Formats: sequence, C-alpha cells, structure tokens
Amino acid sequence: MNLGNYATVPDYPNSEGSAPASAILLGLVSMNLKELKEIIDLVTSKESIEELELEKSGVRLRIRRASNHTASAAVEPAAITSAVPAAALPQAQPEMPEQKGEELYHIKSPIVGTFYKAPSPNSEAFVSVGDFVEKGSVVCIIEAMKLMNEIESDVAGEIISILVENGQPVEYGERLFAIRPR
Amino acid sequence: MFRKILVANRGEIALRIILSCKELGIKTVAIFSEADRHALHVRFADEAVCIGPPKSTDSYLNIPNVISTAELLNADAIHPGYGFLSESAYFAEVCEASRIKFIGPSSEAIRLMGDKARARTEMNRFGLPVLPGSDDAVHTEKEAIATAEAIGYPVIIKAVAGGGGRGMRVVQNRGELLASLKTAQAEAANAFGVPHCYIEKFIERARHIEFQIMADEYGNAIHLGERECSIQRRHQKLIEESPSVLMTPSLREEIGSRVVQAIKEVGYSNVGTLEFLVDDRKNFYFMEMNTRVQVEHPVTEMVTGFDIIRDQILIAAGERLPHKQSDVQFRGHALECRINAEDPGTHKPSPGKITAWHAPGGPGVRMDTAAYAEYVIPPYYDSLIAKLIVHGSTRDEAIRRMDRALDMFVLEGVKSTIPLHRQILRNPDFLKGDIYTKFLEHSQDRRARAAEIA
Repeated sequence: MNLGNYATVPDYPNSEGSAPASAILLGLVSMNLKELKEIIDLVTSKESIEELELEKSGVRLRIRRASNHTASAAVEPAAITSAVPAAALPQAQPEMPEQKGEELYHIKSPIVGTFYKAPSPNSEAFVSVGDFVEKGSVVCIIEAMKLMNEIESDVAGEIISILVENGQPVEYGERLFAIRPR
Repeated sequence: MFRKILVANRGEIALRIILSCKELGIKTVAIFSEADRHALHVRFADEAVCIGPPKSTDSYLNIPNVISTAELLNADAIHPGYGFLSESAYFAEVCEASRIKFIGPSSEAIRLMGDKARARTEMNRFGLPVLPGSDDAVHTEKEAIATAEAIGYPVIIKAVAGGGGRGMRVVQNRGELLASLKTAQAEAANAFGVPHCYIEKFIERARHIEFQIMADEYGNAIHLGERECSIQRRHQKLIEESPSVLMTPSLREEIGSRVVQAIKEVGYSNVGTLEFLVDDRKNFYFMEMNTRVQVEHPVTEMVTGFDIIRDQILIAAGERLPHKQSDVQFRGHALECRINAEDPGTHKPSPGKITAWHAPGGPGVRMDTAAYAEYVIPPYYDSLIAKLIVHGSTRDEAIRRMDRALDMFVLEGVKSTIPLHRQILRNPDFLKGDIYTKFLEHSQDRRARAAEIA
C-alpha cells in the first residue's frame, strides 16, 4: 500500500458547485494490523491526533488531527477517511483549508480605504477562493478619497481565503487575502 | 458642534486632545503607525486605524491615508496637534476641499506665517516691531557701513542663504565691520554658493518670550499673556514658564494689545503663538508666529485656568470666543519641564523600554504624557516622553514644587533629561530669573572649563 500518492491534496476544481476533493479516500478493501499501524504512524509522526474512528466489518477508518481551524475541520486534508460509499464526501466549502504549520502569504492593504472585490457592483469578482493568481494580477480595489486603487498580488499562488467583506473599511497593513505561494 | 474628531497625531498631545474631546462629549478617532499599536492614544480613542509603517512620512504625514480614515469613519473635523501636519497649508487646503474641518487657522493664514520673511514684513506693517536690519543683502562697503550705523552696534552679519551658523559674524564696532563682512561673504559663498549677506541688530543675552493668542471666526481676539522659553538647547525649548520674570502688568497690556491688534488685521482665527526676542531693555522684536497649539500650552492653562484645546475646538466649530479679555486673569506662576528620552549630557536620543515608572503628583502638579511602565519608546519620533507642569503662588514656590516632583519621578530603562532639569533648578542665575537663550550653552561651557581646571 502506498500512502504517498494520497498524502497531498488534489487540485481544487475551478468550476463552482463541484466538491473539492479535500478528503482523501483510501480504497481499502482489506487491511491488516501492520497496515493500520503504518497509517497511524504516518499521521502521528507529524501531529497529535484528535479523533480516531474504526469500523471493523466494512473497514472504515477515520483519523483526525488536532487543528485550530474548527470551521474547516470536516474538510481537514489530513483526515483520512476510508469508506466504501462515495457519499461520505464532504459538501463544497467556501474556503480552502489552511494546512496547519503551512506558511501562507497574506496580501495586505497598502492604504486606508474601502475594500471592493469587483470593479463594479454588477461585475464578477476579481478573484475567488481557489483561483490562481500571477504576481501583478489585480485582486481587488481599495477606494480612498474617491479614487479606485487597483491592488495587485505581489506573489503568484492560489487564493486560499478572502479575509475581508466587500465594502468593508480596511486599515493600513490589514490582511486581505491568504495565498498559498507557488 | 462636531460629532467626531480625528486626532492626526501621536504621543502626549494626541492624548491631550482626546481628553478634551471626552469632556466635550465628542467621539475620537486615533490614527497610528505600526510602531504605535500599543500607544495610549490608540487605547483611549473611541476608534483607531493603522495608517502606515513606522516612518512618519509614510504614516502620520501620509495625507491620503489620514483623509481616507476621516472619510471612512465619518469624522467631521481633524485636530492636527503640533508638529506633523499641523503647519502644512497644503493639508489644511485638502481638509477644506474634503469638507472636513481643520482645527486651526485657514490655509492662507498658515501659508502667510510659514513664509518667515513675509510674516515679519506683514506683522511689522500692522504695528509689531521687528529686528532692525537691512531688508536685503548689502552689496557695497559703503552700504554696509551706513546700515550698521543706522541699526547701531552690535550687529550680526548673516548669509541670505544661511543656516547652521555659517556665514554668520557678530560685529561689535565699526573697526571690525568690513573685515567681518568679507569673511562672512567668503564663508557664505563656500557653504551655499552665494556670497550675499545681510545685516541685522544683534541682541546679546536675548530672551525668548511668546504670546498666546486666541481668535474666533468673527473677528474677536484676545491674548492669554506670555510664556518665557529662554531655557533652550540648540533652539529646542527645555523649560517654559509663565509669567516671565521681566514682565509687568502694564508691559503685558501694551505688548498684548498690539499683538491682538495685529492678528485682527491679518484676519487670523483659532489659537496661535507669536514669538519675540527680547533684549535687556525690554524691547520686543517679533520673530515668527506658530499657527497651532504649542507644546508648552499647559503653562498658560495653569495660570489662566483655561482649556486651550477645548477652546480651539469650540472656535473651529464656529462658536464665538468663549472669553473676553477682561476674563483673563493671571494667577500664580507655572513651570514646565520637558522630559525627553535622551542622554542629559550628550543629548543623544535614548529610545527603549521603560522598566520602572512612577508619575509624581500632589498639589499643583500636572503631568501630560502618553508613557507608562513597560512602554517601549520607539526610535522613529521625537524624544519627548512627558511634560511635567507645576503651579505655585510664586515663582519660588513653583521651582521648589518642580524640584520635589522631579525627585519623585521614577523613570528607569531609558536615560532622560530629569538630572539636567534638577541641575538647572539649582543654578543661582536661573533662580534669580537671569536667563537667556544661550543660558544652557554658556553654563555647560563654564562647567566644562571648571572641570578642565580642576
């Protein structure tokens, strides 16, 4: 059994509506104790586990690591779920989970003003969670003194979360986006 | 009246403005740089917004961010305090254009007084004496001799483009004049590229005395008497007091009424300070006008009982002057010592963490500060950490009160001017009131010479 192939989160699908494959399915038909130990070792070598679920007959195994991201705990990529029915897949989440200990980059506001996610109220947002941006891509607008200032990403990477609401006042240095740099 | 005021400053003055606003029932917005996240003005304002990195040009002087903050949080006025944007005519203009009330005079008044040469000419035209001198550079020897004779010796030769003492010569008599002029011109040419020099009356042992004024937007104006600020080092005030020892009620009345007349003529409104050089025969020469609240305003508040910041806000809100000249009574004597975080000997700044702090109190003691135990004094801004102000019925009582307050002021972790102040308060010449702007320089020179001999 090769767990390495499953240890990374698959690419987040760009189209809306489809579920992110953030849960890892292990297509296990049978499992012996040695294999089970391997799984536990792999998980516990990095993090302490918070939850362990084991079902014997259908071989259902659920291990959850400790995480301070309670909101995204259900889609914690480290959660290893082994279940036969695919219905166990979680619902689409608005935010990509941050992997614990991972260094995310934050785009911060360079000025004081009002945050807008789209160039006008009726247009599409510049970026959404899961989008990949290039260095220099416009990610939002900050309105200051009636001037619309386009804010560009200073790194290339994937938008993991948007940390402010549309129309919200932001101060200097306020975190706007979390990005996983590429 | 204003509903919400943005305080465009930091440190003790930001806190000072916030407390007057609290008493007036006006909400406050603090702005701060990344270095001031834990500052007291941030804590005591109703709202606070980070407007930039530590460097003041990118934060406290960042006009777009200051105005945006005021607009976002619906502040209807901005109080600039002193320093930073307080004397920027451009900033006052931006406020006017953004329909946010700038708590201070009009941008035109700031611009006029910001041009020191023009301010002197204007104020002279409206009856304030200025230092006699050649209006422009002197070009011929004959011209120089005639000018110096007309002014009367001693005179000082100054480079038109000057600064920092270069191209400057004090001349005691006719015999020294031409040689000094040549040297000064050569120095000026070397230092500034232009040899032009002008001649001005030189005042030995000049005192720095200033008048506090207050004017509303309807042409009413009063003065709140004088402050003497002769204890300075490198043109920075260290101790201020009111009244001045050389002042008499009739002289105050005379200068005060001329000052009030002059500011009425230029149509000035809000508070301001007119600075004078004064010679030993009590001749007052107008130097410049500061179009903002001064660091040393508490000295005047202590002897008059007024709240200058409060009145400043009321005037800006369009109210009539809350006091008549006859309401202004001077009671007792007030002193202020500026406590700076610096080495008292070398004057080098001493930023860092305050490890122990006890603020003195008791009768007649006031402290304006934004420091506290464990506070870290950032290295980015000026070194003023506290203003210790005392009031006594006489100058002697005020000095003794200040001395005991300084004795009970515990400040550890950084070096401060406290030891220097205690030294000055024991100087016999200071006790007599025999002070002038070079007082500190000269007494330190004397000490250094005495130490050499010993």
